[in-house]
Amino acid sequence: MSVHTEVPSLSRGLPVAYKRVRLWQWPLRIMHWIVVLSVAALIVTGFYIGTPYFMSEGQAADHFVMARMRFTHFVAAGVLVATAIVRVYWLFAGNKFERWDALLPHTRADWKNLWLILKKYMFIEPAKAPHYLGHNPIQEISYTTMYAVAVVQILTGFYMYSLSNPGGLLFNAFGWVGIVVGGAQVARLLHHVLTWTWLIFIPIHLYLTLRADVVHQESRISSMIGGGRYVRADLDFVDD
Amino acid sequence: MMGPTPFAWSESETLGQHLDRRGVTRREFISWCTDLCVVLGVGSAFTPEMVRALQQVRRPSVVWLQLQECTGCVESVLRTSDPTIGDLLLDLVSMDYQHTLMAGAGDAVEAAKATAMEENFGQYLLIVTGSVPLEDDGIYLTIGGRTGLDVLGEAAEGAAAIIAVGACAHWGSVQAARPNPTGAVGIDRIIRDRPVVNIAGCPPIGDVITATVVHYLTFGAMPALDGQGRPLFAYGARIHDQCPRRANFDAGQYVQKFDDEGARKAWCLYEVGCKGPACFSPCPIFQWNSHTDWPIGAGHPCIGCTERNFWDTMTPFYERLPNVVGFGVERSADVIGAALALGAAAGVGAHAIATGIQRSRARDGDPGAVVLPVVSTPPEKNLESDREESDG
Ligand code: HEM
Ligand code: SF4
Ligand code: SF4
Repeated sequence: MSVHTEVPSLSRGLPVAYKRVRLWQWPLRIMHWIVVLSVAALIVTGFYIGTPYFMSEGQAADHFVMARMRFTHFVAAGVLVATAIVRVYWLFAGNKFERWDALLPHTRADWKNLWLILKKYMFIEPAKAPHYLGHNPIQEISYTTMYAVAVVQILTGFYMYSLSNPGGLLFNAFGWVGIVVGGAQVARLLHHVLTWTWLIFIPIHLYLTLRADVVHQESRISSMIGGGRYVRADLDFVDD
Repeated sequence: MMGPTPFAWSESETLGQHLDRRGVTRREFISWCTDLCVVLGVGSAFTPEMVRALQQVRRPSVVWLQLQECTGCVESVLRTSDPTIGDLLLDLVSMDYQHTLMAGAGDAVEAAKATAMEENFGQYLLIVTGSVPLEDDGIYLTIGGRTGLDVLGEAAEGAAAIIAVGACAHWGSVQAARPNPTGAVGIDRIIRDRPVVNIAGCPPIGDVITATVVHYLTFGAMPALDGQGRPLFAYGARIHDQCPRRANFDAGQYVQKFDDEGARKAWCLYEVGCKGPACFSPCPIFQWNSHTDWPIGAGHPCIGCTERNFWDTMTPFYERLPNVVGFGVERSADVIGAALALGAAAGVGAHAIATGIQRSRARDGDPGAVVLPVVSTPPEKNLESDREESDG
């Protein structure tokens, strides 16, 4: 999993050992960027469906704006679902950074570390915060939350989609969602409100990832492209 | 209807004989049956069979309970300006008990109801409008000193089939809206041991009831129902999927205000709160008031009255999404969502600034600065190296 390299420290000429750890295998990386694209498309088209922010003029027969937006939304939805299915498989087939148990804090140490990392973000004793190769507990919780959000949006989305053909395949598969949430309007509201959670998550996710790279030089961004990180061999990583 | 009329449908005659006596021509009767076959979705080829079956029908007994309700349904169903044979049929069936229409009152009619239910035990059709209050032992509705729950339970026992007419009987309607002080429920929450046919709507279209009753008289069974007990022939498709303004929806042409250009051009009412995308009803096809028009046809958004809990989930009627409760005041979802998203962006920005300040203080050798470790270089060297570079 890791390759040791001895390179001179750039700062002082002291030798520091580095190792390359491989974190994200190619299927996961591809899934990540597909989700980025499809969720972006879903948000843009979803907001048009929610509040048609421009209109067409003239004869209705000459235009197809909303229909195209909805079409794009549903195609992106299909892509998201397909990715979600592979991701579920990957929860079991992936490596230890990608597996299901890397998606929730599950040891007492994790919970203690969660607190230390929160303190790090509050500028309190940042040096004491533990290091993680893959997800730290805050990441685990927030990514799992967004997975749950995606699942609820998929369920409510397909339920709304199925209403055009009651008794059809999709309706039989997703009709129960309406009963559980209390009707189509509630499903729509949920679907709509949950879109805001993406708009809350995305800036924080971008910022913290960027910050990890700029401030702590953790090379997180390139790990989602190239799959791995170089880390100092003498540092302790909780999930090594 | 309740009182003696020269045309009373006597128990000895069939519907065919009776319509003859009333002067309804065979042609009229057949064309009406053809229409109904289409409405019921069995196809006009079925007409001869329906004609034959209906002509043989003998007068059915009907008990109509009015529980917690506004009588709007009864008005909608029975008072049409231009009675069709369907209305006649509803007139004709022996309404052994019907609060609004019966001439008598008090003990006499209660006794008449008891007799009718006894004589026709297992055979009468039970029609119910109105909900049943359950709170405080059901005291919010009593008829002849008995609670609605009691009255309904008794009437249901000997009924051959049960039809719940209107949103009240379907799920409770306005009195079941938050906070539902009387604990009102629809009758299918009370009668659990057999199907209740729900004719949804507030009020429903009279033709749907007629067609359901005719289906029952023709086939001896109720029509196919959806998951909520609504007849599929009427409630099997969404307003949004049958709407003449759907082309404008797909094109992206929306009414913004009720008196704007789009409203004059009959554009889609989505943005002024149309609930057509969430509502199953035959309004666009059957229409209202002797087929004159229907809400969207007249430029008003659908309010979703055939769906459960529509007073809570379809309101505000002129906005697309329901309000969120829980902040003391009701605030729309977008205000909250946008505030949180902006808050996240602003928080991130503030945090980035704070990070920058700490870094520059540490670089300047401020002893109070918080040291943010750089993991790719040895921790003890982190700042020194930075400082050396900047010193150098
Ligand atoms: C990240 C995922 C998603 C986001 C952010 C998203 C966003 C949105 C938004 C904002 C709306 C407008 C809601 C309104 O105000 O009425 C919407 C509508 C809708 N979405 Fe999604 N959506 C997502 C996933 C899905 C999925 C997986 C489906 C599955 C088919 C779906 C199907 C729908 C449908 C059917 C509508 C209503 C469109 C209509 O009936 O006109 N969405 N979506
Ligand atoms: S369903 Fe509506 S119209 Fe019918 S009785 Fe109830 S409140 Fe009145
Ligand atoms: S008016 Fe209502 S039902 Fe008709 S297309 Fe527009 S949103 Fe759909």
